[in-house]
Amino acid sequence: MSDIQNILSIKDLTIGYLSSGNALQPVFKSINLKAKKGENIAIIGRNGIGKSTLLRTVAGLQKPLDGKVYIKDYDIKHYKKQEFARLISFVSTEIIRVSNLKLFDLVALGRFPHTGWIGKLNEDDYKIINDSIYQVGIYNLKNKVLNEMSDGERQRAMIARALAQDTEIIILDEPTAFLDLPNRYEIIRLLNELTVNKGKTIIFSSHDLNITLQEADKVWLMGKNEIVEGAPEDLIINKDIYRLFDNSSLDFNIEKGDFRLTRKKVNKIVLSGSGIMQFWTRRALERIGYEVCDEDKNSTCIQISEQNNHTVWIIMKKGDKIICNSIYELTLHLRRI
Amino acid sequence: MTSLVSGKNDNQIWAAIIYNFRLPKAITAVLAGAALSVSGLQMQTIFRNPLAGPYVLGISSGASLGVAILVLGFSSFLTNHSIHYFGNWTQIVAAWTGSALVLFLILAVSLKVRDIMTILILGILFGSATSAIVSIFQYFSHQSMLKAFVIWSMGSLGNLSRAQLNILIPCIIAGLLLSFLFSKILNALLLGETYARSLGINIQFSRIMLFISTSILAGSITAFCGPIGFIGIAVPHIVRILFRSANHYYLIPGTILAGGIILLLSDIIAQLPGTDITLPINSVTALLGIPIVIWIIIRNKKISSLS
Repeated sequence: MSDIQNILSIKDLTIGYLSSGNALQPVFKSINLKAKKGENIAIIGRNGIGKSTLLRTVAGLQKPLDGKVYIKDYDIKHYKKQEFARLISFVSTEIIRVSNLKLFDLVALGRFPHTGWIGKLNEDDYKIINDSIYQVGIYNLKNKVLNEMSDGERQRAMIARALAQDTEIIILDEPTAFLDLPNRYEIIRLLNELTVNKGKTIIFSSHDLNITLQEADKVWLMGKNEIVEGAPEDLIINKDIYRLFDNSSLDFNIEKGDFRLTRKKVNKIVLSGSGIMQFWTRRALERIGYEVCDEDKNSTCIQISEQNNHTVWIIMKKGDKIICNSIYELTLHLRRI
Repeated sequence: MTSLVSGKNDNQIWAAIIYNFRLPKAITAVLAGAALSVSGLQMQTIFRNPLAGPYVLGISSGASLGVAILVLGFSSFLTNHSIHYFGNWTQIVAAWTGSALVLFLILAVSLKVRDIMTILILGILFGSATSAIVSIFQYFSHQSMLKAFVIWSMGSLGNLSRAQLNILIPCIIAGLLLSFLFSKILNALLLGETYARSLGINIQFSRIMLFISTSILAGSITAFCGPIGFIGIAVPHIVRILFRSANHYYLIPGTILAGGIILLLSDIIAQLPGTDITLPINSVTALLGIPIVIWIIIRNKKISSLS
């Protein structure tokens, strides 16, 4: 597999800005990364670490301070503007609000680098535009105006525009920002489909760690001082994932594969029961600061049982018995103790 | 009317009025309406601001400065005869230079400052600054020259001779042609600089060309007709709403048509049919345009996010 050509390779790259007076303001140094054709790559890292700057540098929107970015073994600075626009398309975080801009016209802008000076669209262009709108699943909105769309639809529209640009690489800066959970999953799934069905190489930044770790082929993880790449599973097994949470109250649970806030557990409690009820009860207990442990005579004990086809939670403490009909009721009682 | 159609000159005076005064005036109105509306459209797209236009961003004020420097400032150096001799060209070149100056100032600022509202405010400030300089010129200038300038600044579509139209027409055609040539780029600029660049556009070149087009259009109209306000802001919005589109392939021809029609209508209103009074055209366009601008602001509360 390793003989698949790298479509993109980044060598000793320093990204950042030129402040007034041409002083270098590096954001991140010595970046070395690779991307192969058809990969869905996620960039993760804390706020302000330079994810957007990296994406913008790779997309040719700002110049590297040092080092090189190669696409198909050519330094990107040697590409002509139009040529480059046929290789990489970009979707920014900016919410585009242009009144009266029809979806079709928006997506048609993607054909820009492929048409002549006047910008006349031929039959192929129309086909590509319609296909792109269809691909992202909003063909029914073809004649709708951008301002009348929901955030999820608008993000799909922007992805359709990038598709119409017909580039091998698509770069997206936080495509799931502003979206609700189902929309986030669907956008990431859409990106996955594009890599599988269309062979696109997709690079996106995201703060949705759970979704990203489940769906990305490869992760570029921006830690404090270095950037590591690998399959999400590799990063978890190698404990690279912990680089994300220096001094934060978030912790990664390596067995369950998700993130939890680290909590101070003060009191011990015994929980009896099994299955789903036990799992969610345990979650609630941990949330309000209890550590669930095995038999302990001095601790309060919670028993989950059935009464008249109805689940009840029984708090047993020093002979007292309190019956609760919901987890909420249970937590109220426990807080009082 | 019949004499005009049939070509029979029953009444020589009427024919002379129509050919020498009314027809040039109507042509001027159509040209000015089209030119100002298209330059307004271009500015709104480039600055991604619905309230942008040649007048608001001070391009017209720049043109007045140019004309003020010419009419008021150089009047002491030039004899009346030489002004008359060079008049057609010097006035138009002065207005162009003035408008281009303000435009490039705004361009320079817009390269540094990304925030649209800031640029708009700076445009208004540039306009005020040029007005202040114009006031200084007015204060020190000769009475007869002052009157000539004040009349110019009130705006008029009726002062153009056939010879002056012969200069204005090719200028407007050149400006509009430039705008047509850049329709594709204007469309891409709708999404803002980042997207335009990722589509492979040379932003600097495109902006400069569109600024040249705008200063030719707004500058030459202002030179000959004086500053005519609100047409440039209001017409593009009317066309966007009528066409329900943001596509410049439709907006540019639509704006030319609507701009021509609306300024012609304003001119008819300014004549106050049935009376002998003629209102300054600027007052009429302002009274027509301001309600439209107010309506736009109220309809879309997020001013910075439309265009």
